[in-house]
Amino acid sequence: MAGITLQQRRRRFGVGALLPAVVIILAILAYPMAASLWLSLHHVELAGGAVAESFIGLANYAALLDDDSFRLAVSNSAYFSVCEVALVVGLGLGVALLLNHPLGRSGFFRVLLIIPWAIAPVANAVLWKWILNSNYGILNAILTELGLIDNYVTWLGTPGRALNMLLLVDVWKSIPFIALLLLAGLQKIPSMLYRAAWLDGANTWQQFRFITLPSLRTTLAIAIILQTLWSFKLFDLVYVLTRGGPADGTVLLNYLAYRETFNFLHIGSGAAVANVVFFISLILAIAYIRMLRPGGRKVPA
Amino acid sequence: MRKIIGTPASSLGRRDFLKQTALAGAALGPLAGLIAGSARPAWADTTEISVFAPLPPDPAPPGDAKFSQDALAAWEQAHSAKVNYEAVAWPQLHDKMATNFASGAHVWDVIYMSGWVPEFAKFLQPYAEKLSPDLVSDMPPSSFSTVKWQGKNYGAVFTLSLLTLFYNTEHFEKAGLTEPPKTWDDLKRYAKELTRDGHYGWVLNYGDPAGIGGVASYWMTYLQQAGGKMYGDDGMPVFNNEAGVDALQLMVDLYNNGTDPGSISYVGINDATNVMLSGKASMMMNWPFTWKPAQDPTQSKIAGKLGGAVLPAGPAGTASIDGTDAWTVSADAKNPDLCRQLVEFYLSPDVQKQQALQTGWLPIRLSMLADADVQKALPNAAVVLEQSKHPYDSFVTPDYNEVTQAIGTEIQKTLQGAKTAKQAIQECSDQVTAIVKKRG
Repeated sequence: MAGITLQQRRRRFGVGALLPAVVIILAILAYPMAASLWLSLHHVELAGGAVAESFIGLANYAALLDDDSFRLAVSNSAYFSVCEVALVVGLGLGVALLLNHPLGRSGFFRVLLIIPWAIAPVANAVLWKWILNSNYGILNAILTELGLIDNYVTWLGTPGRALNMLLLVDVWKSIPFIALLLLAGLQKIPSMLYRAAWLDGANTWQQFRFITLPSLRTTLAIAIILQTLWSFKLFDLVYVLTRGGPADGTVLLNYLAYRETFNFLHIGSGAAVANVVFFISLILAIAYIRMLRPGGRKVPA
Repeated sequence: MRKIIGTPASSLGRRDFLKQTALAGAALGPLAGLIAGSARPAWADTTEISVFAPLPPDPAPPGDAKFSQDALAAWEQAHSAKVNYEAVAWPQLHDKMATNFASGAHVWDVIYMSGWVPEFAKFLQPYAEKLSPDLVSDMPPSSFSTVKWQGKNYGAVFTLSLLTLFYNTEHFEKAGLTEPPKTWDDLKRYAKELTRDGHYGWVLNYGDPAGIGGVASYWMTYLQQAGGKMYGDDGMPVFNNEAGVDALQLMVDLYNNGTDPGSISYVGINDATNVMLSGKASMMMNWPFTWKPAQDPTQSKIAGKLGGAVLPAGPAGTASIDGTDAWTVSADAKNPDLCRQLVEFYLSPDVQKQQALQTGWLPIRLSMLADADVQKALPNAAVVLEQSKHPYDSFVTPDYNEVTQAIGTEIQKTLQGAKTAKQAIQECSDQVTAIVKKRG
């Protein structure tokens, strides 16, 4: 056919071959996002047979500002995210440095590291429910045997302690992936830099501060953004361990969205909370994508 | 003709390959349908009934739980029906129901409910008004109170499930206590005295605020024992009074003297039951099903050492709450009469008896509660019968989950000393008033 080049034919075939995948992605990603946004702008009630919707604009979002549960969930989520990111990235970097040491390079340690990450989220939550049990939990048993506590502790018994225990459980599960991400970044740093620094008389701390950290800057930024994103989606630990208690002390934004929607059938309000989480995640995701963009910034292997 | 370098002249081109694949698929499609159609199962002409039920050990019907399966098969044959079950863990029931109702799709014909009839009444049909008179006359009249909404009867409760007191007889003997506590003062005193030798006097699950079996519902039990009630005739809360405060104060006094501190972290009744069955607590209130596993040495360290009694009386006497386990029929069920007949089968005397003997869930039929075999196998049946002679309102409304979440959260704060009982009840009243007004 005149006027259609081989390049154009290839492009058309490529578009045609990609079209089914794009349609599926739009269906399973874009449609639920749009539907959720739509629901959040409506008052939604279950009526006989289906749902009844009436448009109310941003009223659901405005109502959240006056809602004590929402404010508490925001402050819990902010505390949880900041602490989790700091602990996961900090401890993950420590683990990565150890694994990068000649003595730590054995595959055995890397396999051991993967175990927490490989456990399914709900299985992980049930496992920790038993570990933290105030009567039979192994944590109480070990600490008592070591003489660190005199009486068994109800680890999930107060709002503050319960939130911190959820934090530690999620940190335990999250460290492996971030550690491996940072390890990949560490292994890209040329060893010549460390040799040259050693020859110049730099000690271990100076090498870490002036060579390791600057070289890891992009990887650290990616780790921070990813971990922040993941901290906002936490649900299973709250559902299995505490159901948001005691006294709403462990209600996070994701759990609040679930409770509003499925427990109270406030579908519009629940969608509004879910969209708040979505918008926060979107901002972080955009930052992540910008970090990955080529143009002077290297992507870790 | 221009030759494309590297491509043999006789090879299949890309366009031809795609064309031939599409033609082959179009040819095979009808053939596959023909094969599938010729393999129709023998029961294809029967009516299928889908039932949504909890997984055992929560109350489950025959076929879902392992009892009366022959009887079910005979019923299916006699009615040219096939009963299909979808069973999920109890905590997932409400969420799954809400999702399916919201989807508008017809999924189930017969649906288990536990306190959700007012909430989902729009999706149910008042089939229970057509239940056989023989059956209705053999059921406690008050059992229909939790499945009625706006004058219509949507369900049939199938097990008499009231909270009663369970206690460790061995602990009592060692402490020199010869009978179960009869009053609130007895309860507080016993809980304190029994906290020794590595066990606590009282245990309960205070970790989940909401729903039947959550901490708010326990307070409602004590509220009735104090002579109070949740709502007035206008539907507005009327518990912000001495009865409401006294009920919460009892919980605080018990919590501070003799309750297993882990109770605040037990989110399900099974968490608290495990403590009781392991011998680490002396008393709890629980549902009747507790009796059977407590007698099984593979599940319990207190087999043969469990006693049962009606709940201790408050200023207005004893009272309890109903688990409201009921069968309902969906509004869009294709064959509502057949569904009603299936529910009547679940409530037939033989099935009710086997339900009690095999699963530990008491029958709702008064004749079966009085049956000698049932009374022998489940001595707590007499206790539950006695408890049923006193108030046992569960105060279910369309916003029961939201109301109990609000009340339960305030109770948890009070148990932890963050506020006084009076402050908490005032806050509860304000929040429940707002919820009820929002309902309209």
